[in-house]
Amino acid sequence: MPSVVRTETDVLEELTVEERALLKRVLEIERARLHVTAADLTDDLLAAVKEVLP
Amino acid sequence: MKINSITLLNFRQFLGEQTFVLRSDPLRPVSLIFGANGAGKTTLLNAFTWALYGSMSEDVEEQHRMVTDSVWRELPIGGTAEVAVELTFDHEGREYRLVRQAESRKESDEQQRAIPEVQLWETKPDGSSEEVGAPQERIYTILPQGVSRFFFFNGERIEKLVQKGAYGEVQQDIKVLLDLEQVERALDHLPKVDRRLTADLKKYGGQKANEIQTAIDDLRESETTQKEEQKVLEADLATLNEEREAVNELLRQHATAAPIQREREASIQDLTDARAARQQALSDRSALISSRGFIAFTDDLAKTTAEMATALYERGTLPAPLKREFVDQLLEEGRCICGASLAEHTEPWDHVLEWRQRAGLQAVETAWQQLRGQVSPIIGARKELHESLQAILKRLSTDADRVGRLEERISELDGLLKDPRMEGVEELESKRIDLDGRIGVKQQRIGSIKTALEQVQKEIAQKTTERSRAAVTDELAAKARARSDLVQSVRRALEEILAIRSEDMRQRLDAELKDVFSKITIKRYIPRLSTTFELALFQTIDGVELAVPKSTGENQILSLSFVAAVSKLAREIRKEHRAEGTLAEDAGTYPIVMDAAFGSLDQNYQREVSRALAQMAPQLVVLVSKSQGLGQVVRELMPYVSHLGVVVTHTTVEHDVSDDIELEGVAHPYIRSAAEADHSELKVIA
Repeated sequence: MPSVVRTETDVLEELTVEERALLKRVLEIERARLHVTAADLTDDLLAAVKEVLP
Repeated sequence: MKINSITLLNFRQFLGEQTFVLRSDPLRPVSLIFGANGAGKTTLLNAFTWALYGSMSEDVEEQHRMVTDSVWRELPIGGTAEVAVELTFDHEGREYRLVRQAESRKESDEQQRAIPEVQLWETKPDGSSEEVGAPQERIYTILPQGVSRFFFFNGERIEKLVQKGAYGEVQQDIKVLLDLEQVERALDHLPKVDRRLTADLKKYGGQKANEIQTAIDDLRESETTQKEEQKVLEADLATLNEEREAVNELLRQHATAAPIQREREASIQDLTDARAARQQALSDRSALISSRGFIAFTDDLAKTTAEMATALYERGTLPAPLKREFVDQLLEEGRCICGASLAEHTEPWDHVLEWRQRAGLQAVETAWQQLRGQVSPIIGARKELHESLQAILKRLSTDADRVGRLEERISELDGLLKDPRMEGVEELESKRIDLDGRIGVKQQRIGSIKTALEQVQKEIAQKTTERSRAAVTDELAAKARARSDLVQSVRRALEEILAIRSEDMRQRLDAELKDVFSKITIKRYIPRLSTTFELALFQTIDGVELAVPKSTGENQILSLSFVAAVSKLAREIRKEHRAEGTLAEDAGTYPIVMDAAFGSLDQNYQREVSRALAQMAPQLVVLVSKSQGLGQVVRELMPYVSHLGVVVTHTTVEHDVSDDIELEGVAHPYIRSAAEADHSELKVIA
């Protein structure tokens, strides 16, 4: 039987609305600061968590 | 990102203000600009990167002389001169105007290094325009500086992309371009966020929650330490592998050792295959035994059942002459088939009831019939099982023999290479053995760390479940727990996404690279992108795959193929369904600006490279000299060209060195002598 290869879509579909929203926001924050290798984004990410789950 | 125009003001040899429009469409994505040696092609390439990042490539000499020499010379002491580059471009649905400008005050004939300032204006889809507050930051997010090496480059130096030692940086930049880096960074940062959230849980969540969280924190710390150790070990392993490859390469090149080394490498490959085949046979045997092995023990059962069934049939018990269901029906209806009434507890009723005990059940009879039907196939299946097992045993024996033979042969070849009479080889061989040993130790250690990490991760998952069940009455603590759970879920999803993306990207980039390279090269070399994103070129000799010692030209072709493949993939992936959500239509689109694009490539390679790039790049700016660009390059590129230009060299040399360039049957100035000042002119032809 051929093995089923999991895709990014499969992973996303298994997430709840909140989880998907946070994941998207986290990647946006990280992408925007990619050029700063030493960036500490803890505060920004923490704020994103609180936005999604107030 | 698609560039619409570039305007230079007193930028190096480009005197005054000069503009070149580069706006192109998908059918004609190419701008072709010719220029003689020293005309300013490299300067023009650097004008793009200076505008974007304020820096020029290392090969530009006298970098402090930014203002055109003649402008500087005419400037009185105390006067100021302006140098600037303006770029207009579209990116993800917005238009941008970028200006980097520097003013230099003349204090002596020697120019001082000026500090440029950058400004960026953005026009949104609704037409409103505004200045961007942090222009450099925005530029870095549009095209990170490291990544620009794939898009703004000098063809003669592009081979550095694939040279050993460049992997680290290149790999990092590919990760950025292929959306892997942001996932890795998120995975680095989310534990810190979690730590902050769970601090509240420990503080307000009560003793039980505190204990569980402390245990989770300890486990996470251990996880971090082990992951760090794994990274160090993997880096060490990569270095050792590289050293071993270098030793093998020396052995391959050694006149006496070469044939032995070649045979050994082939034998090692065969041995790996043979061991895999043996392992497969063992797995097949296990699968067969676990699924059908029980049939081996059905010999008596099948025989006895068959005998029983036959005896029952012989006795007439099967099929049952009278069915219990029929008797039940007579009793229920209260009338016998002979017509007698069957009232309860009467003699006829008792008589029929007695028959009920002797009647056979329909279900039992059906079961017997089915059983009988299955008995003979069991006997056949038993025979088949026996045959299959015998075949596997034969395979196992053949594979074991092959493994043994190859092991012996490799030992013998090892011995030959250790022969002290082989000058220089003995030492290399000892080094290889030593490296083999050290590699083995590292691999073992990495293996045990992986096992330990799996265990730690299991324990974390267990403790997290315990945490979710622990009673927490405080509202703050409950909120912290919910948020921590959310972060953990996102982290797990990101880990999986990273694994999926990494493998997918590598495979697709590898396939694309092979495809582009095969269209360009005239040799039977095969490029390969390893799991660590290392680029190498192989060829197969006598069934053995060997690394190709690449020439400069081959490195250039490999690099250009790589650039073309990366450029294509960067665009493709952003159109797919991804965690980042829907992106703009042109996301992942970047122009390719190449100086001396065809380096030292032969004509046939120039043609193929031109074709590949014109077809793959969404926007291509090619800067070439007459000798490089006329002929094959023009013929190949012309159907795709939307803008044609010449950087005309104006020289103060008085004797006539003037030269023209003929494009599409029309002569255009290429070099002009007897100018008042040395400078270059960016002339639009079409």
